[in-house]
Amino acid sequence: MKLFLLSFLLLFSMHSFAYKYETVLDNLDDAWSFVFLNEDTILFTEMPGKLKIVSLTNKSIINVGNLPEVEYSGQGGLSEVILDPDFDSNNKIYISYSAKKDNKKITLYLSSAELKNNELVNRKVIFEANAYRRSPAHMGAKIAFLNDGTLLLTSGDGYDHREKAQRLDNHFGKIIRINRDGSIPQDNPFISDPNALSDIYSYGHRNMQGLVVTSSGLIFEHEHGPKGGDELNIIKPSLNYGWPAITYGIDYSGAVISPFTEKEGMEQPLFYWIPSIAPSDMIFYEKDLYPELKNNFLITALVSKDVKQINKNDLKIQKSLFSDLNSRLRNIQDSPKGYIYILTDGSNNKLIKVIPK
Amino acid sequence: MNTAKYPFAVLSASLFTVMLITPISSISNLIWLNSLNMSIGIFTSLEVLLFDFQRLGILLYGIIIIAFGIAFSIASFLSNYINFSIKYLYALAGACAIGIAMYLIVELLFESELLGGYRTIFGKILHWLAGFFGGYFYYFLISKNYNYTFIIRYLGVLYAYIILGFVLNWIFTPETAAADFGFILKELSDNAQNALLRDFTSFFVATFIFALLGVFTLNPAWFFSAGIIYLGAAIFNLIAIFIHGTEYNHIYIGEILLGLWPISLALIILIKKN
Repeated sequence: MKLFLLSFLLLFSMHSFAYKYETVLDNLDDAWSFVFLNEDTILFTEMPGKLKIVSLTNKSIINVGNLPEVEYSGQGGLSEVILDPDFDSNNKIYISYSAKKDNKKITLYLSSAELKNNELVNRKVIFEANAYRRSPAHMGAKIAFLNDGTLLLTSGDGYDHREKAQRLDNHFGKIIRINRDGSIPQDNPFISDPNALSDIYSYGHRNMQGLVVTSSGLIFEHEHGPKGGDELNIIKPSLNYGWPAITYGIDYSGAVISPFTEKEGMEQPLFYWIPSIAPSDMIFYEKDLYPELKNNFLITALVSKDVKQINKNDLKIQKSLFSDLNSRLRNIQDSPKGYIYILTDGSNNKLIKVIPK
Repeated sequence: MNTAKYPFAVLSASLFTVMLITPISSISNLIWLNSLNMSIGIFTSLEVLLFDFQRLGILLYGIIIIAFGIAFSIASFLSNYINFSIKYLYALAGACAIGIAMYLIVELLFESELLGGYRTIFGKILHWLAGFFGGYFYYFLISKNYNYTFIIRYLGVLYAYIILGFVLNWIFTPETAAADFGFILKELSDNAQNALLRDFTSFFVATFIFALLGVFTLNPAWFFSAGIIYLGAAIFNLIAIFIHGTEYNHIYIGEILLGLWPISLALIILIKKN
C-alpha cells in the first residue's frame, strides 16, 4: 500500500512539473529576436532583413517599412530589436544588424528609429563597430539598457579576429556603452585612455548572445565558447574577460587556443559549460506566473536544445527546462503579464508560448 | 611493392607535411600568448605543440592526403609532357595542393580561417613551403625501391600517432583523461589518484614507446608487446562485464583493434623473415 502511494505521489509530481506548449507562430523566416509591444502584439526581426508586427490573437502580420539594407549571410543579418524605455511616449526602437561598409567588409551597426505607421521614421545609425571583417561570423549584436538609460551592445570577436579582443583599439570582442543618441557617456571606463576606443565598456569577449541588466543594476552576459567553454559572466566596467588568452575550450579544429584557464587581471566566468551548450539568449525572470522560475536566469541553448534555469543566488545550480521541445532554441522573452515565449532557431522557426503549470 | 609504394608515399608525405604545418599555428599562437605576458615555458609549449600535432594534425592529415593524392597524380601525368625537373614538379604540386586546400577550407567555412597560423601572409607562405617540402619528400620516397618494411614502418608510425593522443591526455589533462574512463579524479583519495595517474599514464606511454621501437628496429617483439597489452585489456574488459558484472561497454572493440593492429605487423615481419 505504502509503495502504491509513493508511486502515485511520484507520478503525480512528475506530471505536475510538465509544461505544455502552444505554437503561436510558425514558418518564420529565420526570426532572431522579438519584443512585446503589448501583451497581444510583438515586434520581431528576421535575419534576411525584415521587421514585423504580429498580433498574437488574430495572427495578422505587418511588415515594417524603411529598414536598412543588411548583409544576410553566415551569422549576419538583422539581429536584435529592443524598445526604448520611454517607448510609450517616443515610439523609439533600436535594431542591431550586420551590413557591408561601402560594399566591402562587413561590420555591426546599431540604429535607432521611431516606429510610426508601420514604418521606421527618422532612422539613423548611432553606432558602427570598428570591427570590419570578410566573414559574417560572431557578430554578438545583443542590446540592453542600463538603469541610467545608456545602451549596452555586444560586439563579437569576428572569429578570425579573436586576438583583437585583447586590444582596446577596435570593437572585436567588446561590450560597448553609448548614450541613446550614439554619443559617448563621460563616465565610460576608457574615456581618458588615448589608446582605447572610448565607447568600450569591457573587453576580452568572444560571441556574446545573452545580455541582461537586473533591476538592481547588475549586468550578466553569456557568450559562446569554442569547442567547450561557453561562459556566464557578471560584467563590470573596464574588466578584461580573458578571451582568447584564457579559455576553457579548444578550437573547432582541435587546436589549442590557449593552454591557460586563468590569469591575474582576467576575469573568471561565474559558470562555464563543457561540452558547449551554445547559449543563445537570456532573461532574468522576475514575474509571478511561473513561481518555480522566479528570480532565475533562463538561458536558451542551441546545442543542448533546452533552457537552462540558473538560480541567481547560487549560480552553480542549473536545471534543464523545455527539452521536450527538442529544438534548437534561439530567443526567450517574457510578456508584460509574465508568460514565457520561446523562439526556435533556423529557417521555418516557431514562436512557442509556455503554458504555466 | 612497386605499385603499392605510391599510395604509401602519399600517406607518408602527408604525415610529414602535417608535422611541418601544425607547429606553424602552434608557434604563432605561443608567440601571441607570450606577447600578453602569459607564462609560456617549455612544458606549456610542449603541451601546445603536441596537442596540436595530435588533434589538429589528424584533421589536417585527412585533408592533405586527399589534396596530395590529386596533386601528385596530376604532376605525374604532366611529367610526361613537361620538360621540368620531376622532383620540383612534385614539390610545386605539394605547395599548390596546400594552397588550394586552405583556400577551399576558407570558402566552405563562410570565409573563416580555421587555422590560426594561416591568417597572415607570412603564415600562408610557411604553409605553402611545407607543402613544397611534402612534395619533395614524396618524390624522394617514390624514387627508391622498397620492400615490405616501408609499409610496416608507416603503419607503425600511424599506430603510434593514434596512441600519442592518449599519452598527451594523461600527461597534460589527467582530469579529462580520467573522466573519459569514468573516474572523477577529484573525488578519489590521494593514493587512488596517484595509482590511477601512474598506472594509466605508464600503460599508454609504454605502448607508445613499444610501437616506436618496433618502427625503428623492426623487431616484432616490440609490436607483440604493444598488441598483447591491448588484447589483454580487451579480454579483462569482457571478464569484468560477464563475470564480475560491470556495465556493458563497447571499449573492448577499440582495445581489440589496438591490439590486433601491432600484432598483425609483428606477424607480417615474422612471416617475411621466414
